[in-house]
Amino acid sequence: MRRKYVSRALTTLVVLLLAACTYPGAVVVSMLVRLTPPPTVSSPAPRGALPWLHVEHPQGGQPYIADDRGRIVLLHGAIPGGLIDFWSRGEPLIPDPAPYYPIDPAAYQGRCPDNSPAMPVPPLCEDDLAGMAALGFNSLRLPLSWSLLEPERGRFNVQYVDRVAQVVDWARALGIYVIIDMHQNAYSRYIGVPQDGIANLRNYTGAPAWATFTDGLPSHAYGQRELNPAVLEADSNFWYDRSGIQDEYIAAVAFLAKRFQDDSAVAGYSVFNEPLPGWNLPPGFEDLLLFPFYRRVIDAVTGVGDGLPCWSGFLMPAVCGYRDLGVRDQRHLFFLDTGLVREVTDFPTHLGLPVSSYPNLVIGLHPYTHGYTIDALMGQKPNQNPSYPWGGYDQSYSLGLREAKALNAAMFVAEFGNDPEWDTLILTNELLEQEKHLTGFAFWTWKENGGGHSWGVYDPTKTSVMPMPSSGCLRPARELQLARIYPRASADPHLSYHYDSNTGAFSLRAQGRPGDAATIVYVPREATGEVSTTGAATESESTDAGGGRIVIVSPTGGAFSVAVSAAPLAPVGCD
Amino acid sequence: MRDRASTRALVLGLLSLPFGVFAPFAIWSGARSLRRIRASNGTLQGGFRAAAGLIAAVLGLAALILGTAYWFLASS
Repeated sequence: MRRKYVSRALTTLVVLLLAACTYPGAVVVSMLVRLTPPPTVSSPAPRGALPWLHVEHPQGGQPYIADDRGRIVLLHGAIPGGLIDFWSRGEPLIPDPAPYYPIDPAAYQGRCPDNSPAMPVPPLCEDDLAGMAALGFNSLRLPLSWSLLEPERGRFNVQYVDRVAQVVDWARALGIYVIIDMHQNAYSRYIGVPQDGIANLRNYTGAPAWATFTDGLPSHAYGQRELNPAVLEADSNFWYDRSGIQDEYIAAVAFLAKRFQDDSAVAGYSVFNEPLPGWNLPPGFEDLLLFPFYRRVIDAVTGVGDGLPCWSGFLMPAVCGYRDLGVRDQRHLFFLDTGLVREVTDFPTHLGLPVSSYPNLVIGLHPYTHGYTIDALMGQKPNQNPSYPWGGYDQSYSLGLREAKALNAAMFVAEFGNDPEWDTLILTNELLEQEKHLTGFAFWTWKENGGGHSWGVYDPTKTSVMPMPSSGCLRPARELQLARIYPRASADPHLSYHYDSNTGAFSLRAQGRPGDAATIVYVPREATGEVSTTGAATESESTDAGGGRIVIVSPTGGAFSVAVSAAPLAPVGCD
Repeated sequence: MRDRASTRALVLGLLSLPFGVFAPFAIWSGARSLRRIRASNGTLQGGFRAAAGLIAAVLGLAALILGTAYWFLASS
């Protein structure tokens, strides 16, 4: 009889524990989070060189990134890879090559280290930022590697953070926002030499050696690094917080946040790039592991205290929050990438359960339609009437906005790009969708070494030239597509606009009330047409250091339009 | 003798907590097992297991329905 009662008690305990750790617990905590009022920030924002950004939450409407005057802000930018800890040289006899480009900021003061074919990308230097500003970019997503930030457990590399701060300084001086991106691809360069070739390891980046647990699984990419069993095992171990490595990651993000907490030029933090589920399947991966992990990072950095108090150091269930690590940064944005399977399907692979009461959340979309979607992985070409996605380019964006709204977050294209061969198809369509859905972008990538199929905004440099320059010329098609006329800020979050990169023509329609903050339209040097404003607004114009025009349109009450006439485009190509 | 469906109901019920799609099968198994145990006049055991599986499945299904409903309501 006693055995029977013990068995029943154990069964009850298992059911209750499993319910608390899985969907029933996750749903209850998420609903509580949804009902929790956002934290009120009592202290005034430190005066910043750039306006502080936040996420505006219109009643019943779509949240959007806004500036300190409440205007919707569109961020256009690129992603330079110069601070990523790539495995250099491809030399199997060197088990742990040091970072190829110097980390010391002094190596970049008024000069730039030589580029090298041993690396996938050139070093990131001050003139790169000037080049971005000249294209009209007002933001950059700056990828970092955890392996350089915390090379030994518990010891953060201050010099590497100084290097990040140096790039932030350059950006601030040019009016460019920086999204600090905790980057990774295929988990880590310490995953083990893939049996199918050392060269593949070049693009494995992220975790330090001490946080990489492959449990003896073979490193073999099978043609796609995300299929490597060692990568899947290491990713799983991260999500399960094996040996407290997730706690260390959270501490690393908090360390960065502490450094930049008073800096308005840092737009925010991209918490984890392209999360790979490991052996876990969606939607459980996103709802029970990934987004609860995001909640814990946000709890640690902002101190909002969502979720339940839990242990740390090993698997934390979905209901868990995290302790306040004392940074109390409640002014920056958190960019939350969706899972990698979502990227492959252009379809939400989770329930979109609310993650945090912290209001400044942004879903980081990576629309690689026809680049990495199922059709492309099956070998179909983008121009061969691909069978997927069924909703075309729009599918990822329309559903992304729904995901963002469910999570009470704004949406931003945190990464997109394509082989230059497909610019007229893929790049054109992606940019059109971004206009239609009022979202900014970060383009992968700024510069890349390699052949004609490298993905940079610039042509790759020729490796025979020594010292090797950081790039060739601006790719003409990319310059004309990415240097766009666009509204940088507007008091009307429902405005519509369109830029035709073939003719240089632009049109914008918006509504305004008297006294509303001005709509700012950027016209790059490549666009030479005449600017005109009609309707209830007045217009003034100035020129920036890069030769672009800044059009300031002040509403006087009612509808207004801004147009730029069609005119021959003037690509710069090579300066 | 223990009704085999009661163990099946418990396993499926536990599975339906992380994977809600198992819930209908767990509910069907659990309800059938409970009916059979009740009708056996004490010859079949496993009622607690079947009930636990049934409750777990109902919890899993409720979470799935609530989560899905939230998605449709909050995202539109």
